Amino acid sequence: MVALSQALLNGLVLGLIYVAIAVGLTIVFGTLRLVNFAHGAFYAIGAYIGLVVAQNWGLGAAFIAAPIGVAIFAIILDRVLLRPFYGKDVTSQILVTFGIALIVEETLRLIFGATTQQYPALQGLATSVAIGPLVYPLYRLLFAAGVIAMLVLVWLFMERTDYGLIVRAGVRDRTMVQLLGGNIRQASTIVFAVGAAIAGLVGAAASPIYSIAPGTGFAFLVPSFVVVVVGGLGSFWGAVLGGLLIGELQSLTTLAFAPAANVIIYLCMALVLLLRPQGLLGESEVIRQ
Amino acid sequence: MTAILETKGLGKSFGRFAANADIDFSVAQGELRAVIGPNGAGKTTFFNMLSGTTDVTSGAIFFKGCDITRLSGTRRVHLGIAKAFQTANIYPEQTVLQNCRLAALAHTQGAFALEVFRRSDRLTDVDALAERAIEQLELSGVAGVRSGDLAHGDKKRLDIAIALATKPEILLLDEPVAGMSRDEARKTEALIRKLASSMTVLIIEHDMDLIMGISDSITVLESGSVLANGTPAEIRANGRVQDAYLGGHSEAEIES
Amino acid sequence: MNVSQRGAGVRFALFTLAGLALFPFIFHAIDGYAGLATQIVIVSIASIGFNFLLGYTGLLSYGHAMFYGGGGYVAALLLIRLMPQHPNLWLAVIGATLAATILALLVGALAVRLYGIYFALLTLAFAQMIYFVVEQAQDWTNGDDGLQSIPAALLPIGPYSIDLGTALPPLALGPFGNLSDIKLWYIVSALALCGVMIGMRALTRSQFGEVLTAIRENEERSSLIGFNAAAYRLAAFAISGALTGFAGALRALYDGSVAVESVGIERSGSLVIYTIVGGVQTLLGPVLGTGLIMYLEAVLSAHISYWRLVEGVIFVAVIIFLPAGIVGTIAKRFSGRAKDRALLAKSVSTGSSK
Repeated sequence: MVALSQALLNGLVLGLIYVAIAVGLTIVFGTLRLVNFAHGAFYAIGAYIGLVVAQNWGLGAAFIAAPIGVAIFAIILDRVLLRPFYGKDVTSQILVTFGIALIVEETLRLIFGATTQQYPALQGLATSVAIGPLVYPLYRLLFAAGVIAMLVLVWLFMERTDYGLIVRAGVRDRTMVQLLGGNIRQASTIVFAVGAAIAGLVGAAASPIYSIAPGTGFAFLVPSFVVVVVGGLGSFWGAVLGGLLIGELQSLTTLAFAPAANVIIYLCMALVLLLRPQGLLGESEVIRQ
Repeated sequence: MTAILETKGLGKSFGRFAANADIDFSVAQGELRAVIGPNGAGKTTFFNMLSGTTDVTSGAIFFKGCDITRLSGTRRVHLGIAKAFQTANIYPEQTVLQNCRLAALAHTQGAFALEVFRRSDRLTDVDALAERAIEQLELSGVAGVRSGDLAHGDKKRLDIAIALATKPEILLLDEPVAGMSRDEARKTEALIRKLASSMTVLIIEHDMDLIMGISDSITVLESGSVLANGTPAEIRANGRVQDAYLGGHSEAEIES
Repeated sequence: MNVSQRGAGVRFALFTLAGLALFPFIFHAIDGYAGLATQIVIVSIASIGFNFLLGYTGLLSYGHAMFYGGGGYVAALLLIRLMPQHPNLWLAVIGATLAATILALLVGALAVRLYGIYFALLTLAFAQMIYFVVEQAQDWTNGDDGLQSIPAALLPIGPYSIDLGTALPPLALGPFGNLSDIKLWYIVSALALCGVMIGMRALTRSQFGEVLTAIRENEERSSLIGFNAAAYRLAAFAISGALTGFAGALRALYDGSVAVESVGIERSGSLVIYTIVGGVQTLLGPVLGTGLIMYLEAVLSAHISYWRLVEGVIFVAVIIFLPAGIVGTIAKRFSGRAKDRALLAKSVSTGSSK
């Protein structure tokens, strides 16, 4: 029973990481029609910025520096490299973003080395909390709460602000929004940066839980694509639902039959693509031929 | 005369929007039927259901008495239903002849053929079929031209030629003269009339002169359903058609 | 085929054979070594297989390593488990290729109806599944350690069983090394690559290839003139998987070992990089790209630790500035020049007739 609760909580934590990465991915796809294989790089960069800043100026500073640093990187990337690829054929997008992800990963390896890094001591937060018979690390609980709060903010941004409105309308009909005078170019850049910043922040925040290595970006990216497919490409709540589902699935499978833990999420993605390709909450756009 | 193509209660809805509703349609072999209606009447959606491009929400389609409602568009081409698109849909990198040869090849070899050893240029019946289609649409002069470089009108005629090269029994033409100059439209109209002598032709068109001139019969769609059926003379005199199209004035009034 | 077409085909075959025959010696002169030459030749086959899917069919598969590594593992397992006493190269390689083809048909049947990104993701998903299964099935695959010391396969030809590790008789060739640098492995691999290239050339010019090109150019029209696009894609996927599996099997047998990385995401990525850099939609592109990048990898990895970064930069640079790849861009220049020359000749002749 204790083991099960622990697994469920672990699944929640992992799932929330997936949700955070997937939300950025899915929103960027919905608005910019960009398939971004480099999204995992945002997570990794955030993690490393967080590491460096935390080592010198503490955890709090890390949580501020990471998303800002990643957002700047994302904006530069958008302006310099990715603009010509928006709306282009999917293959070119996948290829160029894959190349960028590769460059980022190798640069991180060059700077920080290939070995996994451990976060500096969490000081006061390194304790565990008792919840009934279960003893669970405090940091993980705070992390989960933090990510949920962040997602609420993102949701508010999407639903309540003008930018969010432009973005949501743009998902439906990009041309119409442009014709109506919405500054979709600016909104798109902001959305891209916000999506990246979320990934970066989570990267920094999750590093005390899962250690950091240059390959972490891709290691979290691929399951995030699974989440996006399961939830539905372009759907915010799809990313949330999908992320939690996949996180729990992975965690529970690790408990039940560890070797299958990684395989099962891909099996899940394959099933969704075959039976309901638009995902659980996605729109039934043209996916099949 | 036997109906070669029939629909019963055919309908298509996109969510809650009904593009087509409850269409009973029947065309006999060898007829040249025009399908007309104001913009948004659901004509192209109707054609797309006939050709298999769009799924059917309700009702059924019968070809020579057989239910083809669930058949794919590819299968329907091999049955003999071919379509030319509203916006000319061709292979821009290939020559006019190559475009038609591909269609002829599809007709000859079937939907799939693992011919990994043979080159297709030795297939003389494919060549013959392609060349015949080009002649019938009077494109022989530009047979060797890269089709992406063609003028708009020639592209539209090429689209028809491609459909023709699949040796169809029914030809669906979606606004075949749209965007053409008056002379070209006349020329194409004559070509279509010649085609209609050997097969069934369904045309969506807005050009009233063209339709009145060449159609055997006309179906009028409005707001997704059939408003009227009849000969050109009957349709011209039909008050409800005039209301739908011309806002209550007869054609004669407008012309004068 | 008319005479000039057959002539062109023969010229191509001879050119390929000559190139492959000279390759290891020129390679030696620029500081490569014969072993790497053989590996390049083998991996080129995989790249050609991948290119057939991407360049000619228009499908980006992010999981081709499942065929490459899969082929390697199947070949290794066949030798280790079924024929340890009489390791037969034919059977191992044919068995592996068959397994890869079946895998391609299974995955393809599910994947080919999906559009662009979903196709790439589904192939990635299957490849990842296979990766983790291979990693976990310790009893069969030895997990992370991979299968080492695969028995050296013998190639039975008639009454003889030839050990492909045999070197050619020594003959000094000055700066181009020694004839004995070349093992029979190279000859077999080179002949295989030559055969694949000739076959691929014929395939792309065949009726099947013609339809495939049409589907890639305009799928909607192709469906509505009666071509079954999904069936063609499936067939192309199977051919592509078979070729890649064939290459993977050869590589495993040549190396004498197979590792779990061969089914990993980096291997899939490498095939993508080799092909794009060399030139998609060309025959020589994948071969050139493979040779260039693998050579760079070998040279750079000896001197700097960040050679993969260089590879990534080259890759992105090619995508942005030379989207047709190296061979593709050269080909376009030449055909452009040929057209200009023809136009010039025409204008000169009409001018002189005045």
